Amino acid sequence: MRKHSAILCISIAASVALFAAAKAAQAQDKVLKIGGLFAMSGPGSYFGVQDKQGIELAIEQVNKTGVNGYRFEVQYEDSACSPLPATQAAKRVLEQYKPDVVLGEECSDATLAIMPLMEQAKVTLLNAGSSSIKITDPGNPWTFRIMPNEVMQGVDIATNAYKRLNARTAVLLYENTNAGIGNAKVFGDTFKSLGGQILADIGFGRDVNDFTAIATRIAGLGKVDVIPTYTLEGQGLRITQALAQAGVTKGGGGQSIQLGTIWLPFGFEQKAGKAALGYVRIVQFDPTDKRDVVQNFIRSFKAKYNQEPTHINAHAFDQILVIADVVRRGGKDSQSIRDIMATTKGFSGVTGSVEFDKTNQNIKMDTIHYMETLPDLSWKALGWN
Amino acid sequence: MLTVALQQGINGIVFGSLYVLVALGLTLIYGVLVQINFAHADVVTIGAFAAYFFTFAFGGNYLISIGVALMVGAALGWLVNAAIFAPLRERGSELLPLIATIGVSILLQNAMLLWFGPIPYAFDSPYSNKVIRLWGGTFITLQNLIIVLVSALTIVLLYAFMKFTMMGKALRAVAQDRETAGLMGINPNQLIMLTFVIASALAGMGGAMLGPILVLTPFAGTSVIVKAFAIVIIGGFGNVEGTIIAGLLVGLIESYTTQFVNPGLTDIVVFTLLLLMLALRPTGLIAEKREENV
Repeated sequence: MRKHSAILCISIAASVALFAAAKAAQAQDKVLKIGGLFAMSGPGSYFGVQDKQGIELAIEQVNKTGVNGYRFEVQYEDSACSPLPATQAAKRVLEQYKPDVVLGEECSDATLAIMPLMEQAKVTLLNAGSSSIKITDPGNPWTFRIMPNEVMQGVDIATNAYKRLNARTAVLLYENTNAGIGNAKVFGDTFKSLGGQILADIGFGRDVNDFTAIATRIAGLGKVDVIPTYTLEGQGLRITQALAQAGVTKGGGGQSIQLGTIWLPFGFEQKAGKAALGYVRIVQFDPTDKRDVVQNFIRSFKAKYNQEPTHINAHAFDQILVIADVVRRGGKDSQSIRDIMATTKGFSGVTGSVEFDKTNQNIKMDTIHYMETLPDLSWKALGWN
Repeated sequence: MLTVALQQGINGIVFGSLYVLVALGLTLIYGVLVQINFAHADVVTIGAFAAYFFTFAFGGNYLISIGVALMVGAALGWLVNAAIFAPLRERGSELLPLIATIGVSILLQNAMLLWFGPIPYAFDSPYSNKVIRLWGGTFITLQNLIIVLVSALTIVLLYAFMKFTMMGKALRAVAQDRETAGLMGINPNQLIMLTFVIASALAGMGGAMLGPILVLTPFAGTSVIVKAFAIVIIGGFGNVEGTIIAGLLVGLIESYTTQFVNPGLTDIVVFTLLLLMLALRPTGLIAEKREENV
């Protein structure tokens, strides 16, 4: 009898264990579908490559244990950093994959183009790299941005240029896109309101290759203290080199300091060479930041890719962490993800903190880090924020 | 102001020389085949990558890399014509080879995207940062001087080839009237092949010199080719002299528009000139001797 009871008890315990394991496996089988709209082709494709690296690393870490029983899965589409391909990619991902949340785009024009589609489909769009103010002002309830917008960035850069660098004259250089024009305008307005003078306002298309003529024009303007520059990496490199060759910037023996944006990836200085000397720019990720989340990210990124992470890797990584945070707090479908994401407060990621205001704009400025290029092409963190 | 104007003149001639190199290939092909080659841009890009890898991966000399890019371009021109364009031309359709050039362009771009990736390459010539000071505070980098000299030499050699050699004369004969040239014992297919090889060689060489100026990605050539098409039209379809003049003119217009008007308006100025030319002088600056132009 005792023997039978023991067998019965063991059987029940085994059944319970098996049931629990099955239940756990079932829970782990719940999938949170994430759409990724990034440039995989064209001049902005360096964004897509690096975004994907950051996302894949974060997904790998999140899926080790799952979040509230959810495993994350991503489907990417090439949105090409441009409005038309971005809308086509957005339609594809919405109709075919039916995601719970979408990440992207990096380029403002592309993000602005896909926002109405996301709103119509009632799917949350989490953006990490577009700066145009129009994305969150007026914005729409389905789009969130973790990066400071062009006004937050522009006011900050112009104020620092005037007060910390003692700049009094500036030349604006920007690509003719929503983001380029918007960023340059905010800088110009702020700089002028502080007492500075804009000597030239130079916009150009993305098809411009030779910046020698523009550099020559700037060289003929006399004393230029700062040159805020808003371009993608490729044109940015050529501008920096042309300005140095024309003897305008410190890298070419001149006095002007180029000011750059979050758009440029890490490694820009190495590609630009000595021409980048003295370049001051903002990035979203400071590798010297001692917080565990930053150092763990750097370690795991190096282990996976055998290279140093960039701020584009970092903000893509943070996008997944923000979603994981939302799912942990009960997000499970488009609507609940949107509602819970809107209440995000005190989130601390690799790039900095996240807290959304009523327009879904992250209000935390600690995601902006100022860096200066030194003669050996390494960086010095300026600690201005 | 005079210094700045002179400097912009130098800048315009440098970039105009590069435009000429790229546009000459297009005009040669158009002159002989009356066909636009959309894949020309990608041969420019491949030339740039050939020079880049020769210089940085194999530690080669940049000047030699220009020759390497020329040969890579020539080989690619031969291959593409032999494998794709020539068989399509034999079918007698004029539309098929034209569409095929678009297909080849997309194929080459995506192949490059696969091999080289999308992240811009920093292709710095060792001569880019060597500045030669000229009169009145103007300057030219050694790289740009090389561009002007190599372009000028190439133009002279090409001009001499077309004017004074039997093969060049045969090529011009095919351009003027392919059928009659064939009746005179000229093999048009061989000359069409030669045209593709020369045009692609020029594009490859242009790529090697554009590499340190362009943002080097698999799509780099596309940004130059639109201007090159405009230059071919402004110069006179298929006319070499017209293309040279138009190329330099466009380079200068871009520089002076940047200086005295607005850099954002350079395309508007160039393409307004193109439209004016089409409206007022459709044959271009120098009309090519063709049946339809007579």
